Amino acid sequence: MKTISLKVNGKPYTVEVEEDMRLLDLLRDKLGFTGVKEGCAEGECGACSVIMDGNLVTSCLVMAFQADGKEIITIEGLQSEDGTLHPIQQAFLDEGAVQCGFCTPAMVLAAKALLDKNPNPTDEQIKEGISGNLCRCTGYAKIVSAVKKAAEYLNQGGK
Amino acid sequence: MDFNVIGKSVIRVDGLAKVTGKAIYPQDIYMDNMLFGKTLRSSVPHAYFTLDTSKAEKIEGVVKIFTAKDVPGHNSHGVLFKDHEVLCEKKVRRIGDPIAFVVAVSEKIAAEAIEAIEVKYEEIPAVFDPVEAMKDEIKVHDGKSNIIYHYKLRKGNIEEGFAQSDVIVENVYNTSMVEHAFLQPEAGVSYVEDDGTIVVCAATQYPHFDQLEIAEAMGVPAEKVKVINPAVGGAFGGREDITLQIHLAMAAVYTGRPVKAVYSREESFYAHSKRHPEIIKIKTGANKEGKLLALEAEIIADTGAYASWAINVTRKSGIHVTGPYVIPNVKVDAYAVYTNNPFCGAMRGFGATQVPIATEQQMDILAEKLNISPVEIRLKNAFTKGSQTANGQTLTDSVPLVDCITKAAKAIGMF
Repeated sequence: MKTISLKVNGKPYTVEVEEDMRLLDLLRDKLGFTGVKEGCAEGECGACSVIMDGNLVTSCLVMAFQADGKEIITIEGLQSEDGTLHPIQQAFLDEGAVQCGFCTPAMVLAAKALLDKNPNPTDEQIKEGISGNLCRCTGYAKIVSAVKKAAEYLNQGGK
Repeated sequence: MDFNVIGKSVIRVDGLAKVTGKAIYPQDIYMDNMLFGKTLRSSVPHAYFTLDTSKAEKIEGVVKIFTAKDVPGHNSHGVLFKDHEVLCEKKVRRIGDPIAFVVAVSEKIAAEAIEAIEVKYEEIPAVFDPVEAMKDEIKVHDGKSNIIYHYKLRKGNIEEGFAQSDVIVENVYNTSMVEHAFLQPEAGVSYVEDDGTIVVCAATQYPHFDQLEIAEAMGVPAEKVKVINPAVGGAFGGREDITLQIHLAMAAVYTGRPVKAVYSREESFYAHSKRHPEIIKIKTGANKEGKLLALEAEIIADTGAYASWAINVTRKSGIHVTGPYVIPNVKVDAYAVYTNNPFCGAMRGFGATQVPIATEQQMDILAEKLNISPVEIRLKNAFTKGSQTANGQTLTDSVPLVDCITKAAKAIGMF
């Protein structure tokens, strides 16, 4: 066992973790952030993606102890406390970019990681930005248009 | 007339829960006092086996190891034929057949116990080629022919049709097995309510079928089983057969505690069906104007170790192998065959997806031989309103194929 401290969605946590625990298990099983999904456990599908210190990481390939001192953002951290959706979430809804939904939380975070660094991405850059995230319902076209719309919303100062 | 939904862009009802991460998939359910289940699966394709669970049972934290003898009702399930065993009793018919279900206080301990179960296999010859399997020299299910279905379609007189044809093309096409790979691996939780009702929460395409299959295997009336279908992370046909539902129900009833199981991606591959690979032997004849006159096809669909929806899928292949074309003389024989391969069932298209690979390539080759364009040969033969399909259905309503081909051909500059 090892004690680590980290911030998740702006809130500090100090937790005991087993040496072989993944960040994914810490977030889901210990801290209850079940918006983080496990799809493959080998970094292929991207469903477990979270933002760690500004970068998109697959939380199945990050050990829990490696998150010591880090700042994590999960899907649960995007909606405001008053219930207002983050502009990216709103854009995914408006563009019908949600089907089965299992890829959606990580897809929204991939869009955030991209738009935080590049507020005006081209279609190619959007496709590259979500290239680590699989959607098996094959809804990519709508996801790309949602990310474009999200960029518009954000550039107008949120919807 | 004013509609609320038709013609409008409507935000989907479950959209908000899904973009906020609040949608509950079965793996997101955590209950107090919950136990964890793991499945031991066969590592060989065709064998008699015996199990020794004594070492695994002694591991601290293991609550119970279920084997075939623990199934309270019928040890069988299946959407058409009850040819799956809930837990195999003495014989496995494919790699991945479930043979034991371990319930423990943690997932880790359950996994450790799976490793500690000793399985002795007495391997017997297996058959992987469906053509070979049709000879019935090696039977996948005792006392039953491997050929589980023969769909026969006869229209007109194909001898005459081919005799009148100016050009005939004959080929064999093979399609591959395909995995759904829905993004959410199978998971579920089962518990028993105060009045004895067995509750199973699992992502499924058929809660009403699952209820009956669980009830029969548990030996209880259907009204004592409640199936809750939470958010489903994709399915595409891959959640039409039972996977963990009955294992969980057994475990919850025996232990009196909630029991959860979550499959890894690899186990998900073993647990559910695939798209039927098909061998399509096809002969197509047309006159020099490009009018189709005859089609003969033999389709062999490999359903693997279990039937699942093989009959419906194979029938659909047999009907759709003509393509959307009017052909006066047709002879089709489509077979569904057991082998020791992974089992096949529903997957997007349900038999209609495989055959166009053959039918449409035949059309292209015919067009080439006749020196006409691939668009022209299709327009000459396409179904229109009032056409009759080879199996005798008159198409009375919307048949916009000619429009569709014309528009697409124009858009890509082929017309």
